[in-house]
Amino acid sequence: MNAEPHTLAGAYVMDALDDADRARFERHLAGCDACAQEIAGLLETTARLGAAAATPPPAALKERVLAAARQTRQHTPAVTPLRPRRYLRAVMSATAAAALIVIAVIFGLANSTANQRLDQAQQSSAAISAIMTAKDATMMQGQVSGGGSATIVMSPAQQALVFMARGLPVLPATSAYELWLVGPAGDRPAGLLPQLAHGMIPPVIARGLRQGDHLMLTVEPAQGTEHPTTPMMLDIPL
Amino acid sequence: MVPDPAARQRHLATPADLAALLAEVARGDEAAFDTVYDHVSAPVFGVILRVIRDPAQSEEVAQEVLLEVWRTAYRFDAAKGSALAWVMTLAHRRAVDRVRSVQKEADRERRAATADVPFDEVVEAVESTLEAERVRRCLGGLTDLQRESVTLAYYKGYTYNQVADLLKVPAGTVKTRMRDALIRLRDCLGVA
Repeated sequence: MNAEPHTLAGAYVMDALDDADRARFERHLAGCDACAQEIAGLLETTARLGAAAATPPPAALKERVLAAARQTRQHTPAVTPLRPRRYLRAVMSATAAAALIVIAVIFGLANSTANQRLDQAQQSSAAISAIMTAKDATMMQGQVSGGGSATIVMSPAQQALVFMARGLPVLPATSAYELWLVGPAGDRPAGLLPQLAHGMIPPVIARGLRQGDHLMLTVEPAQGTEHPTTPMMLDIPL
Repeated sequence: MVPDPAARQRHLATPADLAALLAEVARGDEAAFDTVYDHVSAPVFGVILRVIRDPAQSEEVAQEVLLEVWRTAYRFDAAKGSALAWVMTLAHRRAVDRVRSVQKEADRERRAATADVPFDEVVEAVESTLEAERVRRCLGGLTDLQRESVTLAYYKGYTYNQVADLLKVPAGTVKTRMRDALIRLRDCLGVA
């Protein structure tokens, strides 16, 4: 292992890193503007390598793709224009962080006593704290277009985030809010939000974040779906 | 396969045109998507085919990528890079994801033993367009180790550790050669 993560830039833009190296390099990238600039230039370069290999696909593919597009809902930015505010943990006051953890743990316990055993509750509270107190924890907020707001605390190193929301409209029992990670790797379901009395929603952990992901939210049938079927109500670039 | 002259002509559209078209696609313009398809389908399919090799699987992955362009066009940000780079990044990553998920199940030893070093073949197979000629010339200006590192990683989808195994050189060397090679290619190709 080389001590200088920057040397991974070439392998990174060619998708030649394994998951651990990739995560390590992305942590490095997050704090390095010069690297981001270099990456942009190298991605233009690999695009040219790719374009040099251009091979027309079978003619039938075009009609299939166009037909599929006609039947595929596009992802759209949330209706309410929002500027997620990004704070580095260093900037976030210690009091605010502590308060969030307390809220998270209380919510976690409230949720668990309803239908889970206490040891599970403790585990989930510990998991939430681990993300929120991570060295690289970043806090972001966004407005939900149907009403309410969301706060997330993300740890890129752990490829995980804690999602908290308040003021979301209460849904009928047949529906649920579903979180999505949407990025270059496609859209992946990131969890259903459990709903407590009075529309309170306990914190939820989403894992498996990848670079370029956005966190999104939709209303889906109560059992959840594999792909979003309704308009995005929230879009936070991670 | 050699693209017909009209198809080749379309590939010469300026990067700004393609970016503007993507903005229209983001607004749901199907005609714009039709044109974007004509611009990017050959590069997308070509790079996927190089990595995956199997034409049927490549076509499947190309369809996924092109549909993803339609679904997520609003996320393209012209301030961060060209439209072609955005699309090709999606395509290459999807191709590599597909290959790696298959590889996980395969016997690593056997794979390493049967893997050939394909750079000449890849370079030969590249279409003889003007752009391909330039890339080919720039690849030719690299050292052997640089060129092999880039072609094995980019066109075959190997990780740098796998490339190091195949070329029997330390991983740290491969890593730095990859970056050096891409910087040289960037400068040779006159990428802004």
